[in-house]
Amino acid sequence: MLLSPELEVQNLKVSFSTPRGKRIAVNEISFQLNSGETLALVGESGCGKTVSALSILRLLQEPPAEYLSGKILFNGQDLLTLNAKALQDLRGRSISMIFQDPMTSLNPVMTVGEQIAETLIRHTPINRQEALQKSADLLHLVEFSSPKEKLNYYPHQLSGGMRQRVMIAIALACSPKILIADEPTTALDVLIQAQILELLENLKKETRMSILIITHDLGVVTEIAQRILVMYAGEIVESGPTQDLLENPFHPYTKGLIASVPKLGFQKKSGARLEEIPGNVPSLDQRPSGCPFHPRCVWSMEACKTQNPPLRQVETQRQVSCHLEPGSL
Amino acid sequence: MNTDKLLEVENLKKHFLPEKKFLEASSTPILALDGISFTLHKGETLGLVGESGCGKSTAARTMLRLIEPTSGKVRFCGTSLLELKETEMRNLRKEMQIIFQDPYSSVNPGRRIGHILQEPFEIHGFKNKKENIENATQLLEQVGLTSDYFTRYPHELSGGQLQRVGIARAIALNPKLIVADEPVSALDVSIQAQVINLLLNLKEELDISYLFISHDLGVVEYFCDRVAVMYLGKIVEIADSQQIYDSPQHPYTQALLNAIPRLGFGHIKQKTVLKGDIPVSAILPQGCAFQNRCPIKEKRCEETIPPLKEVAPNHHVACLLKH
Ligand SMILES: Nc1ncnc2c1ncn2[C@@H]1O[C@H](COP(=O)(O)OP(=O)(O)O)[C@@H](O)[C@H]1O
Ligand SMILES: Nc1ncnc2c1ncn2[C@@H]1O[C@H](COP(=O)(O)OP(=O)(O)O)[C@@H](O)[C@H]1O
Ligand code: SF4
Ligand code: SF4
Ligand SMILES: [Mg+2]
Ligand SMILES: [Mg+2]
Repeated sequence: MLLSPELEVQNLKVSFSTPRGKRIAVNEISFQLNSGETLALVGESGCGKTVSALSILRLLQEPPAEYLSGKILFNGQDLLTLNAKALQDLRGRSISMIFQDPMTSLNPVMTVGEQIAETLIRHTPINRQEALQKSADLLHLVEFSSPKEKLNYYPHQLSGGMRQRVMIAIALACSPKILIADEPTTALDVLIQAQILELLENLKKETRMSILIITHDLGVVTEIAQRILVMYAGEIVESGPTQDLLENPFHPYTKGLIASVPKLGFQKKSGARLEEIPGNVPSLDQRPSGCPFHPRCVWSMEACKTQNPPLRQVETQRQVSCHLEPGSL
Repeated sequence: MNTDKLLEVENLKKHFLPEKKFLEASSTPILALDGISFTLHKGETLGLVGESGCGKSTAARTMLRLIEPTSGKVRFCGTSLLELKETEMRNLRKEMQIIFQDPYSSVNPGRRIGHILQEPFEIHGFKNKKENIENATQLLEQVGLTSDYFTRYPHELSGGQLQRVGIARAIALNPKLIVADEPVSALDVSIQAQVINLLLNLKEELDISYLFISHDLGVVEYFCDRVAVMYLGKIVEIADSQQIYDSPQHPYTQALLNAIPRLGFGHIKQKTVLKGDIPVSAILPQGCAFQNRCPIKEKRCEETIPPLKEVAPNHHVACLLKH
């Protein structure tokens, strides 16, 4: 595969002003989303995944948010320098986003058809009749049975999984280059989760868009992502191709995340326990010195308490930020 | 295993009359719980699994009489619960506790953690303030929280920490049974492991039996001796964990197992993803309730409601093709 970046994030640093002062939520992260790839951004709640994703479309409210540094390059432009009108144009047209809870993004008193058509009309020269026809096609694309009829449904008449598929239909309405999916299956049951993941996989094949999928559950992404970025306390701590990274994690945090996914065929006997990562993600007020993971890390050494290891290239496609030598876990 | 019966549930039903919604004419009752039966033995952990809306919480609540069932029987240590007066019921409640999915909504946000943990003692008439504080402090320690959490407020805790508080409150009065209604579903995978380990430790230390409710069979495997799978208000399969995981019989159980995200590669391609959803309307098809999603459905499934039948020792399945 030719690795041309569709989107490039460089040294992005985002802060929030809080009553206790300015707090860094995303700390100089850099990554690229290659054309046609599915990239996963993984980490526990509070690590900064959503803030990173919202930053790409500049959807954070400013203030309290502030972009302290960095570039977000798309189509030769730095999105952080665009004006409001240009951003409005970009959102939903070139880059679309779906969220964990579809109910908060759907309008409860508008039919599904009207909501999809609205997006189409906003971004493309198309009349209402055509927009509704296209909306039905989109519902068909996201695998609704009798899509014409479903156009007239209100969100409350749909199940959680169907609502998420409506959100995907809206997101895909203008054939975006990039889809950002922030925990799209976290609120869904496993069977529906499997449906949505399969749908995203199929859609990517048909449309050749690039996907940035965000999740706290490594199990969810191994099946659809080619590459994984692991985020902890506002920083990217490891990245690499999915299979490679899962089989041979270099960062203790990645290793912990992998271990905490329940494995099939666990022998239940007295005293047997799941592997856990002790402790919690620190809040913005309590970000530790040195390596941010050190209070929870079983490998922590003296140096880890004071020196934050930079993210370094350790193999052609692998990066890690840890004082340990790669391969010593 | 101990064979003393702790909880016996017999043909328990709960029907709700739905509020009339916009654009909907019908008001057919929702058969949230459509006659479930099982026995939980002392020291045992039973998993109750199924998708959202299949009636798990309704089962938990009717069993503990937090809501009144439409019909059926529930016996706890031989006592028939549904005939008890409210005062008699209150005494028994000490023995049977519940933990909820959303730890934030199950505590009073205006009270400090220390107070929240004294509540069970106060409610049940323990008047010695000093002892209550001591007990509350000890509870914190038992669930792995340091004593400085005593003076914090709920919003200062993470979901996982607050779920520990929920567990501490549940074990306060040495219950025999804890009904855990999706205690880890709202937590990150990494934190789920912490909470499950805590529950396993407490079970061994305190001799508690659990009814563990979850929509995720992957989590349940770590935890349960026996598993009951529910679909639309009914148990469709019940067996020892080992049997459920090694030789699931009901197509629904098979689909649930198949859909668990696992760390592995490329198996989504071989995976058959089950189409369709739990029906949103209250009106069910005739015959097997699972027929619209079932990959092996036959004509006769449209006519007969499959009863729950024993297909192997202690392995019951409600599917016409497996009888
Ligand atoms: N508007 C805000 N003001 C202050 N802090 C915020 C705000 N939004 C998010 N945060 C904090 O930023 C951190 C990262 O949050 P988020 O990106 O939502 O995490 P994730 O999506 O990985 O769960 C968290 O500590 C969160 O509390
Ligand atoms: N108070 C209520 N009034 C009306 N319907 C209810 C009520 N509580 C639950 N239900 C319905 O009963 C069914 C089972 O719900 P529930 O027991 O909460 O399922 P689960 O816990 O498995 O997600 C659902 O269809 C739900 O909408
Ligand atoms: S730098 Fe030190 S504390 Fe951080 S992950 Fe590596 S070993 Fe652990
Ligand atoms: S009874 Fe028929 S429809 Fe129901 S689960 Fe069995 S095969 Fe499927
Ligand atoms: Mg998030
Ligand atoms: Mg429930």
